[in-house]
Amino acid sequence: MDPIYFSQVLIQGILMGGIYGFIAMGLSLIFGVLKVINFAHGEMLTWGMYIAYVLFIWVGLDPFVSFLISGILVFFGGYLIQRILVNPIMDYHEAMQVLLLIGVSLVLTNLALLIWGPDPRSPQTSLALSTMHVQGVIIDTVRIIVFVISVCITLILFMFLKKTDLGMTIRAAADNRLGARLVGVSVNHVSAITFGIGAACVGMSGAMLLPILPVSPGVGEPFTLTSFVIVILGGMGNLIGALIGGLIIGIAESMGAILWSPSLKQLVSFVILILIMLFRPQGIMGGKR
Amino acid sequence: MKDSKRKKKQIGKKMDRRTFITVSAKAVASAGIIAGFPAVLRGASPPEIKIGSIQPVSGPLAVIGKTTRQGNQLAVNEINRAGGIKSLGGAKLKLLLGDSESKPDVGRSEAERLIKEGAVAVIGPFQSGVAMAISTLCKQRKTPFVVDVGLAEPITKSGGGWVFRVFPTGTQFAIPVVKYLKQMLSETGVNIKKGALTTTGDFFGKAMSGLFLKHAKDLPFPIEEPIYYPLGTKELSTEIAKVKASKADILFSVARPSDAKMIVRELYKQRVPLKAIISPGSPGYFEPSFMKEMDKLAEYVLTNAPWLNPLSPKMKQVAKAYQNAYGGYMDNNSGYAYMGVMVLADAIGRAGSTDKKAIREALTKTNYKENIMVGGHVKFNEIGDNINATTAMIQNLRKNGKLAPRVVLPKNMAVAKYVFPAPPMWER
Repeated sequence: MDPIYFSQVLIQGILMGGIYGFIAMGLSLIFGVLKVINFAHGEMLTWGMYIAYVLFIWVGLDPFVSFLISGILVFFGGYLIQRILVNPIMDYHEAMQVLLLIGVSLVLTNLALLIWGPDPRSPQTSLALSTMHVQGVIIDTVRIIVFVISVCITLILFMFLKKTDLGMTIRAAADNRLGARLVGVSVNHVSAITFGIGAACVGMSGAMLLPILPVSPGVGEPFTLTSFVIVILGGMGNLIGALIGGLIIGIAESMGAILWSPSLKQLVSFVILILIMLFRPQGIMGGKR
Repeated sequence: MKDSKRKKKQIGKKMDRRTFITVSAKAVASAGIIAGFPAVLRGASPPEIKIGSIQPVSGPLAVIGKTTRQGNQLAVNEINRAGGIKSLGGAKLKLLLGDSESKPDVGRSEAERLIKEGAVAVIGPFQSGVAMAISTLCKQRKTPFVVDVGLAEPITKSGGGWVFRVFPTGTQFAIPVVKYLKQMLSETGVNIKKGALTTTGDFFGKAMSGLFLKHAKDLPFPIEEPIYYPLGTKELSTEIAKVKASKADILFSVARPSDAKMIVRELYKQRVPLKAIISPGSPGYFEPSFMKEMDKLAEYVLTNAPWLNPLSPKMKQVAKAYQNAYGGYMDNNSGYAYMGVMVLADAIGRAGSTDKKAIREALTKTNYKENIMVGGHVKFNEIGDNINATTAMIQNLRKNGKLAPRVVLPKNMAVAKYVFPAPPMWER
């Protein structure tokens, strides 16, 4: 096989994997702390994209600036969803939470459909067509920026959870909900903040995807499934695991596409998932439960 | 006390309702008299004729489903404005709306619902997969089904004589595209070494690309194995890298609106040296939003499409009405959606009845002359396919600064000269 072609596809896989990892991280964080699976994950990505889209169309703000605004707005959205909808049913059966969050995802999708209509929109942002050429290999500038930002935010978040007071409180609540409440942690507030942070991560990644992926109300849906696979792969609730899981899926999909056939690329990631479930059910980075 | 209050309230409500009904009845009656409504004089207006329209107005194909529904509605409005179905005392048509969500199972249950609600015939559904599901249902329910858009061959065959397709079949697509391409090659003398083919992996993508490959054996160059990707894909960079590695000169792409945008961007970013991008028969490359957002990248893309007939005077009228009503230009999908209802209404008119069997009989004898699309009169063969349906080659070309799809082949319908080979995207 042509080495340039090979490295081209490998790099694309790594870059996409970093982005996948960042998208999945929000899901992992929310699950780790709240033990709730956010079925509206992909739809939050869609909303992050639409916020960036509106800001680009109205004020010409590039997605690489407006992703912060997307993050903040989706943070508040996530905070409110947790406080108003998820929190009251935290102690009920898991099926209730699943139904509720699927409901939220339907509302978010259809709200987007109502506001922006069904058309896939793909505005020409300044970097949309920009590439870098290294030794004959063409690297997509957008993907490399998204990759770098994603890895940075993951590390910042990791440090935040390890070092800051709020981060430690979040971890305490994740570890033992009742115990944290007994020592005076406002668990409800902490849960809502965590949900907000998880939502903000996926909202930011959505905004940064705008230059490479046309946005339409249903665009986020497949990302929910991919994120699940990544989170299970990396270990539920483990942030660095999510990043590693994302890289594995990204590389597996791109390599599967050239070694076998592009239509088999999802097969490759699901086979990896099955193998992990069989031999290491707690995930690559997951501790013993 | 409480009870009496409630009673009072109820009485009040009843009185209100009664007054309301009397007042409104009077108003309606007087309005009728003032307008000299003939129906009122005769004592009854003919009942509405219900037609079920199933289109993918949500899901990954929603952007097209919106336009095909508009096409259906435009035809219904036109017929009603012109006095309804004359042979049934000017009965008006009513479009019952169904949404397939771009999924075959949902399309089928929506069709079932509309038939239960009294639809005398069903029209739709843009997708071949959905059409297959509705076609078997309509055979069971003995309800005529007019396929406005949907090209897979088995659709009509599985309908047991209840399915009529105004749109070209896959073969009616594949034969002309090969012919047009050969003509372009011989006229320009361009040498093509290899072609690549990318396609969505759904029923439509497989049917279309399969038929195209079957007929493309006549072309003077080989075509690589098709590259499939799922409908609603989130990543196409690997697929395009594969196209580039194959060193193809022409990319044949069976696409949909969202992936078409991703494909041209990736082709640009990866600097794939192509002489042409040709869609052998798929949406994606001629929609207004594709032109607007992709601009230079959208230029020179060729699509083999059952396009609007530029020589038809009625087409100009209809296209204008469409633009006034919904904005955006009419394309082959909305055009055929319009035609489907016109052909169905023509059959209902000739049947002079809303009996499903009579409508089916009338449909088999269709010879509809006012075709606004390329191809001759609409006539169905014994399977239910339109024998005169065909395609034209269109190319996105700029004229007076305005980028739009224009018919370039066949010559007798061409409104512009084709550009082949196209200049590389990054040098435009």
